[in-house]
Amino acid sequence: MIRRQQTLGERLEERGISRRSFLKFCTTTASLLALPPAFAPRIAEALESQRRPSVIWLSFQECTGCSESILRAGSPSIESLIFEAISLDYHETLQAAAGHQAEAAREQAMAENMGKYLVVVDGSVPLGNPGFSTVAGQSNVETLKRVAKGAAAVICMGTCSAFGGIPYAKPNPTGAVPVSEIITDKPIVNVPGCPPIPAVMTSVIAHYITFGSLPELDDLGRPKVFYGQNIHDRCYRRPFYERGQFAQSFDDEGAKAGWCLYKLGCKGPTTYNACAVLKWNEGTSFPIEAGHGCLGCSEPNFWDKGSFYAPLSTATELGSGTVAAGVLAGAVLGAGAGYAGRKMQEKGKAGPFEAPPVADAGQKENS
Amino acid sequence: MTEVVTKQELDEAFAMFYGMAASLKDLASPPVEVADEERVAAAKRVFLKGIDANFATQLDACVHCGACAQACQFYLGTDDPKYTPVHKLDLMKRVYDREISPLSWLKKFIVKDITADDLRAQQELVYDSCTMCGRCNLVCPAGINIADMVALNRSALAAARLMPDELRFMQEGQEADGTIFGADEDLFRFRMDALQEKLGFEIPIDKPKADVLLVTTGLDIHLFQDATGGTIETLHHMGVDYTLRSDAYEGANFGLLSGHEGTKKKMAAKLANAAIEVGAKVVIVPECGHAFPALRWGAAEALGKPVEFDVMTVSEYFGKAVMDGRLKLEKDKEPRVVALHDPCKVGRWGGVFEEPRAILKAIGWELHETESNRAYNFCCGGGAGNFLIERANPLKRAGYRVKMAEIEKTEAKTLVVSCGSCRMNFEVGKVNAGDTIPVESLAAIIAAHLPKKEGAKA
Amino acid sequence: MTLLDFARGPALQGAAFIFVVGMVWRALGLLLLHRNTPLSRNRDNHLARHGFRTVLSRFIPAPVFERRVSFQYVAGWIWHLGFFVVLLFFKIHVMFFQGLLGFGWPTLPNGVVVAVAGITLGVLLWLLGRRIVNPVLRYISTFNDYSSLVVTMLPFITGFLAFAHYGFAYETMLALHILSISLLLVWFPFSKLIHVITLLPSRYILGVKFWRRGVQA
Repeated sequence: MIRRQQTLGERLEERGISRRSFLKFCTTTASLLALPPAFAPRIAEALESQRRPSVIWLSFQECTGCSESILRAGSPSIESLIFEAISLDYHETLQAAAGHQAEAAREQAMAENMGKYLVVVDGSVPLGNPGFSTVAGQSNVETLKRVAKGAAAVICMGTCSAFGGIPYAKPNPTGAVPVSEIITDKPIVNVPGCPPIPAVMTSVIAHYITFGSLPELDDLGRPKVFYGQNIHDRCYRRPFYERGQFAQSFDDEGAKAGWCLYKLGCKGPTTYNACAVLKWNEGTSFPIEAGHGCLGCSEPNFWDKGSFYAPLSTATELGSGTVAAGVLAGAVLGAGAGYAGRKMQEKGKAGPFEAPPVADAGQKENS
Repeated sequence: MTEVVTKQELDEAFAMFYGMAASLKDLASPPVEVADEERVAAAKRVFLKGIDANFATQLDACVHCGACAQACQFYLGTDDPKYTPVHKLDLMKRVYDREISPLSWLKKFIVKDITADDLRAQQELVYDSCTMCGRCNLVCPAGINIADMVALNRSALAAARLMPDELRFMQEGQEADGTIFGADEDLFRFRMDALQEKLGFEIPIDKPKADVLLVTTGLDIHLFQDATGGTIETLHHMGVDYTLRSDAYEGANFGLLSGHEGTKKKMAAKLANAAIEVGAKVVIVPECGHAFPALRWGAAEALGKPVEFDVMTVSEYFGKAVMDGRLKLEKDKEPRVVALHDPCKVGRWGGVFEEPRAILKAIGWELHETESNRAYNFCCGGGAGNFLIERANPLKRAGYRVKMAEIEKTEAKTLVVSCGSCRMNFEVGKVNAGDTIPVESLAAIIAAHLPKKEGAKA
Repeated sequence: MTLLDFARGPALQGAAFIFVVGMVWRALGLLLLHRNTPLSRNRDNHLARHGFRTVLSRFIPAPVFERRVSFQYVAGWIWHLGFFVVLLFFKIHVMFFQGLLGFGWPTLPNGVVVAVAGITLGVLLWLLGRRIVNPVLRYISTFNDYSSLVVTMLPFITGFLAFAHYGFAYETMLALHILSISLLLVWFPFSKLIHVITLLPSRYILGVKFWRRGVQA
């Protein structure tokens, strides 16, 4: 793999990337992480001088979309720079080694960096039949436990490893679970999205390299700086929402005028991600800008939250069956109550009008 | 007309009668001893059979908006929120909630059961401070029949033997001898003889068959002879085939007022049977507010089957006669400015509004309507037997003031009334308040305006 | 399951079920009770028509009561109408009903609905204050009255916050909004809110009672 004697700066120069570009990357990363600009040189220094941490990338039940997302770039992407800062010792798709050689490389990296290497996981882990997903005869769950044991932290790339994703969706035939259900004794960073935004991952790794720690996380284990706000709050179509201007279909005048897609099922209001700010394909666009509502792909269980095209404010389980059952149960109770009430009315009619005096009551007892 | 009683005689009789009425409480027999559980049980029985689907719907329709207080002269006169009409139904609502409401299975665990003390506390609310005038029914946005449900409360208290002493005395008296204030058959005959003397024609009593059965009342026999005399004189003038009955002359019904079901039905049935016996087409009830509903709406109920005869009150019968030309009255040369009191039981609860007005128009009097008139009329303040309840005096005065304030606003010189107990209450109220406006019987006014017949003794 | 998933799913479903059960239960229970019918002769022979007339006439107070009760009739009108306008003509609400029923209907601009909702909430708050301050209302008010008022206000408050993206995150506010509606649905059949099905029949009953006696009520 990559020689370790050179610094990052030297290697970048070799590859024709100017120091100016590198510093710009560091500044961007700092701002993405919501750090003051003064941290940019520190990030640069850290990336240049630190010994590159070993990274082991495990792929389980996944589609490789997450890897694709990070690697796919028209021009030399600034994101790919990050691979210069780390030692990617194992990645089934990317590594040149194959077969036992590949596994051996992983074992070696683990042994050399015990307790210090990072594990990146994409894909969910099947707990059903181990045969659903194995690598080199080893089930995913075994591999994960084994590799995570000596890791400094686990980064879950994509919704599948973070929250289970599509394999986890009902009926979940493989018994898939997110990483966090298996690994409980290591710091875990969730970088959900289907796929996640590349800059998010690079920023997380940059943070780790710079500060030796993970960025601040929210209650779902996601870096707050990227997942702290929902798409709706940052969406350029928000004014249309405020005015109640909603596209009714994907080809009506409202849609053409760029009105809010809430009615067409947009999950922007409940989806916490940075898509509306960072966008995709080097800031070109994001789904809402392309004319389709947000699917909420970076949220847990996004596949099971009803139709992608049903507005957020609709009921998901209420239906005519509920109403019919209610009418039936109500009719039974009502008929019973009505009958009981009638009996009480009749009871009232049956008795004498006046309360019997004490003397009368006494006589009754005597007779 | 023939003056059957002079102003002075009337004043003297009033003073004497007032003294008698004020001592009713002391005349009442000591109350019978009843176990508290029996009281509660009896009250509940009445509620349970009285709350039908209609009342239940209405009890469930209240949103506690408080509008009813704004219609009630006892609240308006005292500003005391406890007299809010719908609050008077709270006790009954508890029984309803616990025993027969659709949610009774749940409410049993939440709503407290009623106690004998609750019943005792309820007395003031449904007797003293409510005349069941029904004005609240008309303001209620939910159209809740509060007044009739108060009547059911009175029945429940009557069943629990908790009616006020005065009403108990009246009810027990009427249960025993069929009349009120001791106006027995002897006194009835004596009064009729005296009237006959003054009127100068024979008053038919106990005719076997007649088109019209005329009923009077103990109050008129004792006191308001002008009302009875006027009625008889007008009937005679019209040439109506009528009779009075020595066994069914009492129109008052203290079973109705006190809430005592047995007495109520017994009295109504007595009159209804007498009417059927004489083959009457119409029964004319006297100028006694509650005598009208007691028979008009109660006769069929008492007999358990529809009845053939019509029941009309004096003002209705003569008013209709004036309206369709059967009775011509003479116009006064100097029109008097008068106000008219629509008795609740005859007006709001009886639908008699235009008839008395037709009479006043026929005699050329200028009617100044009170702000609240016809169905929206204020009660005199002492209806539904309340004018007899001594401890309710302050409330009666408060109610009277509300009523009289409206009358004073009309600047009328005379108040025309066709209800004995309203008249009684106005007279008492006037004494207490120092008011002087004359209160006159409509029946007497009609008689005073009968055209002189050719050849008749003037 | 997030709070919003719970609200949109089981909460709303369960609340709607309880609502339907309760409404049918109470309506049927009332209908099945014995009903007294009078035997005496009616003065009026068009009772059904006239009873219905009373149902309509009670929407406004009789002239003689205007001075004393108009303001509360007006307050009642405003907030009931406001409630229905906001419920039925807010765009996002119509989306909800469309999801449920399969069809929608025209809506009002958001600005109008927000204004109506503001007025409605204001009136409700004022009515709550009045209930506490006015001696008659304070005297006759029970837990049922206060709770029903508050439970009716909650959807407005949470709805406003959700719409304005104020307070908690949008999905939390939306969830709270849906939960407040669920609470309203559950509370509805067991409280005085049942007047929605009893009030107009009650007017009819009184109308028939009075018209039968020749009195326009």
